Amino acid sequence: MGQEPAIALRGVCKEYRREQIKIPVLTDLKLTVDEGEFLALMGPSGSGKTTLLNLLAGLDRPTTGEVVVHGQDLAQMSEGQIARWRSRNVGFIFQLYNLIPVLTAFENVEMPLLLTSLSKRQRRENVRTALRVVGLEGREDHFPRQLSGGQEQRVAIARAIVTDPYLLVADEPTGDLDRQSAEEILELMEQLHREFQKTIVMVTHDPIAARRASRLLKLDKGKLVGDVIQAQEVAS
Amino acid sequence: MKYLVYVFRNIRRNPVRTLLTVASISICLFLMMLLLSYLTINTEVAHSLSDYNRLITMSSQGFTQPVPIANVATVAAMEGIATVGELTPEDKEHRDKKAVSPFSWYGGRYKDDSMPGSQFGIDPETIFAIMVEMKLPPDQLKAFRDDKTGCVIGKKLAKDKNLKIGDPYPLKGTVYEFNLDLTIRGIYDAPENRDNRMCLYHWAYLDEGLKRDFQGRAAGNAGTIYFKCKDAAAMPGLIKKIDDSFRNSSTPTKTQTEEAFAQMFSEMIGDLQTLIVAVGMAVVVSLICVCGVAMAMSMRERTTEVAVLKAIGFGRGLVLALVLVEAVIVSTLGGVVGALGTKLLFDQFDLGSLVPGFLPFFYVPWTTALFGLGLAVLIGFVSGVLPAWLAAQTSVIQGLRKVV
Repeated sequence: MGQEPAIALRGVCKEYRREQIKIPVLTDLKLTVDEGEFLALMGPSGSGKTTLLNLLAGLDRPTTGEVVVHGQDLAQMSEGQIARWRSRNVGFIFQLYNLIPVLTAFENVEMPLLLTSLSKRQRRENVRTALRVVGLEGREDHFPRQLSGGQEQRVAIARAIVTDPYLLVADEPTGDLDRQSAEEILELMEQLHREFQKTIVMVTHDPIAARRASRLLKLDKGKLVGDVIQAQEVAS
Repeated sequence: MKYLVYVFRNIRRNPVRTLLTVASISICLFLMMLLLSYLTINTEVAHSLSDYNRLITMSSQGFTQPVPIANVATVAAMEGIATVGELTPEDKEHRDKKAVSPFSWYGGRYKDDSMPGSQFGIDPETIFAIMVEMKLPPDQLKAFRDDKTGCVIGKKLAKDKNLKIGDPYPLKGTVYEFNLDLTIRGIYDAPENRDNRMCLYHWAYLDEGLKRDFQGRAAGNAGTIYFKCKDAAAMPGLIKKIDDSFRNSSTPTKTQTEEAFAQMFSEMIGDLQTLIVAVGMAVVVSLICVCGVAMAMSMRERTTEVAVLKAIGFGRGLVLALVLVEAVIVSTLGGVVGALGTKLLFDQFDLGSLVPGFLPFFYVPWTTALFGLGLAVLIGFVSGVLPAWLAAQTSVIQGLRKVV
């Protein structure tokens, strides 16, 4: 009781300007996410899902309002501070994996650790642990082109968790995968949530993927229109 | 250091582009090294000549105009000029003779040479006392002195033409209508920064031939007069005294140090240094543009990747540094091939063997090679600034587009 929420959005508005025209994307958004929650964000295209994800991850700033993650008001941080904050607190999982093609799986996973003061030996241990968690032991020396889509996404997840971040954000992590690979990735994310108590925010269009989350938020035209605790209801 | 794996992998990402960028830098630096080395060698050699206390008297109208052979004796009679005995004590036969010699350019072609070589009519009794850095074994010197149609050649000329002592060395005149039928009596050895491709023959052989076969046309010309002073302090006084003594003659002279004489040849081509610096600057600016375009293209292809790096916490400064280091490494590779490669190439291959009449020797000084390498680093840095800055400014949102 009285525990600080993992994420707190208070009166968040976000609008973009195209020439002289203001385009509102999020309007007066209020949201609280508890630590260890697995949150799915759904909504039609243009509803503001990705914009909301960007705000939570510290990639963008609200036009007005407060975005507080892990007790930090992101709007108050400088560019450099927020970059350092992201490196310690946020793990990113992208739809198209976004691995660096010239680096091996091991080197890709190691990239966020280069920003830390860990020794080479410690980095190696952390990378191996992360790859073991995602089931890619023995694939350390493979380049992304030598891996399947599902395996590439596993490497991306390993990269996201290698620094043991507070928050995992995933934007349609199964959007580019076949059903079987998608199921494996979702299983892995569920495992991260269940076993490692990670706070996860996932944007998805896929109701089956959303069913894996412990809570489902629906966005439409920049406003929250649904907040369902039993995500299983979505599939039905 | 921990980021170098990423930097080197990026360099190898598009091998053709990297190779072409490195090639463009190295080819331009190769040409720059040739020009800069030529200037540096001229300056180095000219400065080193000041150690020998030698003066050269030529016509005040220019070195192509004649200097009467009688002037040699006039100069020799003046105070302050060293004797052969003082310079080469082992030469007892000519020890009291003044170290003065005519030095008359012949410019003949040997066999099918495309360019005339450096052949000079000299006084065999004094020349090796004046040119003390040129070494000739005593038996070869004696054989040369004893044979009026004999000549001595430099070791590099002997090597280029596969010549040895006793071989005929016929020369076809390009200035004089008189051909020289010479026989090689000696092969001299001089330091690497001296002309080891000259042919020295008896001035008297040419002069007698001109008198005999051409009614004396063009005979009696010493060309220039080379002589060695006892010490440097005597040189200013001698210069004035010699030129004053011929001032009112039909052939006034200009006497100068050997260093000034060598510099005169560089200046004859014009303000070569300014020209080379201007060309060099243009090349550097072009290279900066070429490398900058290559780097900008490379970064444009990696916009999403840079956005991902920034998303996971790479700051602007780090992204900027990574791109700059990449640009500097590529450019430095071009510098290593272009500058150090040119140095190593011309350490092994003597460019002078191709154009001995124009360039008796050639090498790339270390200072020039290192300057070229430094220039490559600078080109890399400057060319990388704009692409690096643009990469550092990449918006994560824009870079990731629909991804996050």
